Amino acid sequence: MTQSVNHHPSISLLELYCDGSLNAEVALLVATHLDYCPHCQQLRHDIETDLGAQLAASTPASQDLHNADWLEMMNSIVATPQLPFTAVAPAQSVEQLINIGGYQFELPRSLRRVASKRSKWLSMGGIATARLPSGEPHHASLLFIDKHTDVPLHTHQGLEMTLVLAGEMVDENGHYVPGDLIINSPDDTHKPRNISDEPCLCLSVLSAPLQFKEGLTRWLNPLQRFFY
Amino acid sequence: MDLMMTTRHHGPEPSTPAMVTDRTLNLATTEPVSRDLGQWEQALALVALSRDKQAYQELFGYFAPRLRAFGIKMFGNEQQALEMVQDTLLNVWQKAALFDPTRGCASTWIFTIARNVRFDMLRKKQSRKDDISADDLWADGDYPEAEDHQTQKWELWLITEKLAPHFAALPPAQRTVMEKVYLEEMSHQEVSDLLGIPLGTVKSRIRLALDRLREALDDSER
Repeated sequence: MTQSVNHHPSISLLELYCDGSLNAEVALLVATHLDYCPHCQQLRHDIETDLGAQLAASTPASQDLHNADWLEMMNSIVATPQLPFTAVAPAQSVEQLINIGGYQFELPRSLRRVASKRSKWLSMGGIATARLPSGEPHHASLLFIDKHTDVPLHTHQGLEMTLVLAGEMVDENGHYVPGDLIINSPDDTHKPRNISDEPCLCLSVLSAPLQFKEGLTRWLNPLQRFFY
Repeated sequence: MDLMMTTRHHGPEPSTPAMVTDRTLNLATTEPVSRDLGQWEQALALVALSRDKQAYQELFGYFAPRLRAFGIKMFGNEQQALEMVQDTLLNVWQKAALFDPTRGCASTWIFTIARNVRFDMLRKKQSRKDDISADDLWADGDYPEAEDHQTQKWELWLITEKLAPHFAALPPAQRTVMEKVYLEEMSHQEVSDLLGIPLGTVKSRIRLALDRLREALDDSER
């Protein structure tokens, strides 16, 4: 069964992504959404076309470089050999498939290189998480939720952004399929659950530690570290 | 060599685009040619096919000062701006064969290279270049082209009163195109000619404006 993506980044978020001003972790989340979403791919194309047209229509700074300096730069460039067509794409170590919880998932293009640099999986119950290389104040990780498994109820101090990569999940606000982007603000308390018969894999980006609100888990500090 | 002379204009852009059809024209004698259709795409093809230095010089002469201004705005200093310009235009020289005019304008391609170069420069400065790089984030436009069906679907909506207040909130460039197409009922080609922007840019701005209006409408109905 294929279901189409229903939860998209806003145009403002896409614009920040296209002009390169999002931080790397959130940009990775948007890039991964694009891997699933032809609609937003078109918008990306449109925004980049607009930005390119703006660059072409812009005016140089009134204090421009001297001709001689520009010439020197240009001459050093044209003295460089052009790359043969076949050598242009850099070879990268990539990982297309990922194994966790006894399942195998195919990774979208944008995560293939980054996922090969993930930390070890940490597992707890039917949930597992592996950190992707990321820096303060954002943490990016892969989140595995086994079938019929709940993620403990939690709030967070910063933004929590989740992108479904495989399987499906639900929370109080909706039902999410691969490509769906879920953004929760610090005010949201929510409880993601996988109620399906298939395992679920997500990309998660957090901007601050989570606080758990429910029962025992509230006191389990290690759990917080686990998610953050 | 009067390489840079075309960039030495200080006033506002002229209101009527200078149409330059012969790419071998001496740039020093022409007004800004940013609105000229197809010139940069042709120049890139010549660079890719025959390492045409004359064509490259035209691209360099036009885009280097504009990329520098863009870089100074982004980095806040000239040294990094020039590093970005050099790296971007080196990519243009070396990878011209990768440019595919069926997928977009030359200006779009050059902008995205500059964006990627800037991103990787910033990451490198944080010693995080290998964590997440521009190559991970921006696939080289290899997505299949989506169908342009939503445009038609929305045309009827646009004449309704409901959208009017949101129209004013559109970014100016998008609003102008929308007004020409939907209020003055000009064709996309006519708008392209009038404003001196590529046809693809007209279509892109319409799609962006439509999506923005839809978003605004969704929000107001919530």
